[in-house]
Amino acid sequence: MTLDQLLTDTKPALSQIYAEDLPELTQAKDWQSKYRILMQLGRKLPPIPEKMKQPSLLVKGCESRAWLMHYYNQHQDQHFFVLDSEARIVKGLMAIMLSLVNGMSNTELKKFELAQAFDKLNLKPYLSQSRGSGLNAMMARIKDCCH
Amino acid sequence: MQPFDPVNFRGQFAFFQHNPAWVYLDNAATMHKPNVVVDAMARFYQHNNSNVHRGAHTLSQQATQAFEQARDDIAAFINASARQQIIFCSGATAALNQIAFGLMHTVLRAGDRVLITALEHHANIVPWQIHCSQYGVILDIVPLTADYQVDQQAFTELLALKPKVVSFSHISNVLGHIQPVAQMVSQAKAAGALTVIDGAQGIVHDKVDVQSLDTDFYVWSGHKLYGPTGIGVLYGKTAALELLTPLFGGGEMISEVNFSHSLFNILPFRLEAGTPDIAGAIGLAAACNWIQKFNSEQVKSYKSMLLKQFFAGLNQIDGLDILSSPVHNAGIVALNVQGEHPADVAELLNQQTVAVRGGQHCAMPFFSLLGLAGAVRFSFAPYNTETDVATSLQALTQAVEILTA
Repeated sequence: MTLDQLLTDTKPALSQIYAEDLPELTQAKDWQSKYRILMQLGRKLPPIPEKMKQPSLLVKGCESRAWLMHYYNQHQDQHFFVLDSEARIVKGLMAIMLSLVNGMSNTELKKFELAQAFDKLNLKPYLSQSRGSGLNAMMARIKDCCH
Repeated sequence: MQPFDPVNFRGQFAFFQHNPAWVYLDNAATMHKPNVVVDAMARFYQHNNSNVHRGAHTLSQQATQAFEQARDDIAAFINASARQQIIFCSGATAALNQIAFGLMHTVLRAGDRVLITALEHHANIVPWQIHCSQYGVILDIVPLTADYQVDQQAFTELLALKPKVVSFSHISNVLGHIQPVAQMVSQAKAAGALTVIDGAQGIVHDKVDVQSLDTDFYVWSGHKLYGPTGIGVLYGKTAALELLTPLFGGGEMISEVNFSHSLFNILPFRLEAGTPDIAGAIGLAAACNWIQKFNSEQVKSYKSMLLKQFFAGLNQIDGLDILSSPVHNAGIVALNVQGEHPADVAELLNQQTVAVRGGQHCAMPFFSLLGLAGAVRFSFAPYNTETDVATSLQALTQAVEILTA
């Protein structure tokens, strides 16, 4: 497995999450359905193989461990990411986050506000503070990839 | 003494009236406060507030009297032989830092050994690490047996290396296992060591008599004993406390100061620099006085009845790895849903208003030994109910269903 392959596999998963799962999630009527969808979402992202999980990829500030890999396409000014988490709910939420920012230009990514975006999707109430802080740590790490 | 009536007991906590939906099983993290504690603190601020030990005025004398009365009450609570053996501090963490720092200058020299166990909370590991590495003191760790008990045979063997200090928890904050503290203290003393007991989880479970326990130090945090946050107790035998170099310098702890040197005050003030948490001490004393009104054997047997019901229910749920033993357990159950991360389990319980802790419980070395990401911890208190047990079991069953669907 290479970063290229992971990026290639992640892209269609994120499009599907954005187009199909997100609307389903926002319409789910009870918390059980919501969490079932979240966990399925997480499963759609290809996992980062154990031996690629270098300590430098580890995102601190999460209750559970999470990892982030990045690629910047200079010609097209686009940021692409691959991420993984050992906790499934967190991975689902991070997948949603990634579906919103993957492929953004440098300027777009710099301007992106996670709280606002989640608010718009009515997802904010489902973020508890501690899990929220893990997401924020991941978002901060994603933004660190900007130049 | 009052007989213990669970409904009446729970009724003394306004928290539960304000949060009727919640099943609170995170008592090992912090406990709720009975109204008498909150009232005692409010009364102090509203009626008596003044600084202690220094005012020329009557108000300060009254505040001093209330504060020192709190010390007396707490001394009586653990049967300390003298009032100056109760040192107020911010909690067990502060107490352990004071002990580790304080002994490093007087008792421990390069090449000496300190012995702790593999079940300790970070508060009983990190202060020793910080000071040991600085002073060339060797830190030994008692390993665990296959069922996560402190390996008593290894403990005996490590004592043969003649550690100068032995420091261990009364009750494991992760697993709830009750250590054979009296025996461990007597063995450590026979080996010539000073003994330190981290009583953060122990003080609330059992009546602690420091004289019969014969330990040199026993420390705990007020907020895990129905008291406020920010206050705790460092108990020490007078001779042991005299060995401690103060970690903090400042007001109150000196008898004479000039720019070249200062003379330290006598105990307990020598180890209480600065304005103490007066209201906190008063609140903690109120908690100690209050809990003593109940028959402690009845309280304990009620809690073990809840624990027994909980364990029985867990046996009906497939796919669990239960880390805690039901035997010699103070009311804490750590478990995992097989193959699932504890953060996921804890979050699914949270969605069902069951408050537990999921993670490593400030015991990372323990979980590294086990190769686990952590565990979900259910910790019970006497204000929990049989309904709490049933509801949390249902919620756990639901969480397992969602996770394994």
